[in-house]
Amino acid sequence: MLEIQKIDVYRKDIQILRSVSLAVGEGKITALLGSNGAGKTTLLMAISGLLKPKTGSICLKGISIDRQPVHKIVEMGISMVPEGRRLFPEMSVFENLELGAFTKKARDTKGQMMREVFEIFPILKTRSTQIAGTLSGGEQQMLAIARGLMSRPKLLLIDELSWGLAPIMIQRISETIKQINKTMGLTIFIVEQNVSITLEVADFGYILENGRIVGEGEAKQLLESDEVKDAYLSIGDV
Amino acid sequence: MVQIIVYGIITGAFYGIAAIGLSLVFGVMHHLNIAHGSLIMIGGFAAYWFFHLLKIDPFVSIPFVMIILFIFGALLYKGLFSHLDKLPEGQKIDNSMLVGFGLIWIIDNLATLAWTSDARAVTPSYTGKVWQVLPGLRISFVGLIIVGIALLVIFSLHFLLTRTYFGKAVRATAQDRDAGNLMGINVARTYLTFFALSASLAGVAGVLAAVNYSVHPMVGFEWLLKATIILVLAGVGKIGPVFAAGVLLGIAEGISVYFVGATYQEVVGLVIFIIVLLIRSMR
Repeated sequence: MLEIQKIDVYRKDIQILRSVSLAVGEGKITALLGSNGAGKTTLLMAISGLLKPKTGSICLKGISIDRQPVHKIVEMGISMVPEGRRLFPEMSVFENLELGAFTKKARDTKGQMMREVFEIFPILKTRSTQIAGTLSGGEQQMLAIARGLMSRPKLLLIDELSWGLAPIMIQRISETIKQINKTMGLTIFIVEQNVSITLEVADFGYILENGRIVGEGEAKQLLESDEVKDAYLSIGDV
Repeated sequence: MVQIIVYGIITGAFYGIAAIGLSLVFGVMHHLNIAHGSLIMIGGFAAYWFFHLLKIDPFVSIPFVMIILFIFGALLYKGLFSHLDKLPEGQKIDNSMLVGFGLIWIIDNLATLAWTSDARAVTPSYTGKVWQVLPGLRISFVGLIIVGIALLVIFSLHFLLTRTYFGKAVRATAQDRDAGNLMGINVARTYLTFFALSASLAGVAGVLAAVNYSVHPMVGFEWLLKATIILVLAGVGKIGPVFAAGVLLGIAEGISVYFVGATYQEVVGLVIFIIVLLIRSMR
């Protein structure tokens, strides 16, 4: 579904990503793992168009998107749940969802989509008139995901699902992600520091270190592999 | 006293219209367009020429003046202000002020060249028409229309910002530009339209200024001063408070004329301005 070929991405003059290539399979949950500062968020920004790669290409279903403006990329079917959620804090839950369905195509199916996300996150329905900034952390993350679904994306990008959440909440939301992937058949690309939980829901994983892909594989294999255990899971002596 | 308050409300309604465009652009885009007063001046001259050359009633000319200022505002944004959007937040305000300052210089002097520095007023047949509502309370026809237009502006802006997709896009990008972009909002186009819209509101203020007061090429600075005082009083980007602050300023000026004399009318506004700034900075 999404093919990234050897992209170099800079922020100002500093090179963050070095010849990164990866693929996100249709209908799958793909994970990108890596520690703080590895370049994970930069990669998502490049996919969503907020940053433009200097070299290399990004294609969605064979169509190049790396020179498109951000709002066009949304129209083409990529939706992002940004790091730190980035809700519109002074607007109601309802208005946040409405803005998620901002593109012309999404406006037509707004009502139906709203019912669907309320089914997935019933709490949002009871909170629909509440101002987004006053929701709890977990509710805000649910709203951010729901808002990302409102545009009926082909591909959903999620940046740091676990950001600022209690472990029980992380567990619950990652289960919901799995459920969304199954029932809606939605392709999901998830970027995380929290390796173990992510690999439990993901089908395939990549490991990013200092701007380079240093490992990849089926999620189950990665979870078992020594590299991942040593580097991220710290099993054994701490 | 009632007369002073009524007069203050009328003046304040006008001040509100003069300030609203400045306040909205500052609130949403963080551009302090200090050439806003000069846009008001252009609006006033547009109304003047519509009236004198084409015999169009000033209030009828408002839509045309708005269209002219909308286009002019769009060009200004596209040519000048849009380039500032790439700057980091803190630098936007400073640089937009520099651009605005340059614009004041250019616009005001070009206007002087074109139209001379004479003060001109639009004087339709109903100028000076006044109703004696109660003993000691008179309301001018023009004043009544100004208050009506102010109410119309408040309600249509409120409707626009809370009920339309465009308005929601404006509010969303004001809160988080990138997040709005990620929702599929074309931020550049939204900002362009919004800036042009605020320029067209300056046009409305210009028409009212030409009818209720008079216009000359340097008058923009006076209106900018009022608008800035209101901006400080009302806070940023809110519609209701802008008009409330306008009325407050109008009444305060009226009272000062009554007790101290018209010479110090301007001083009162600036004293309020300084007091509010002092109190705000203490917190």
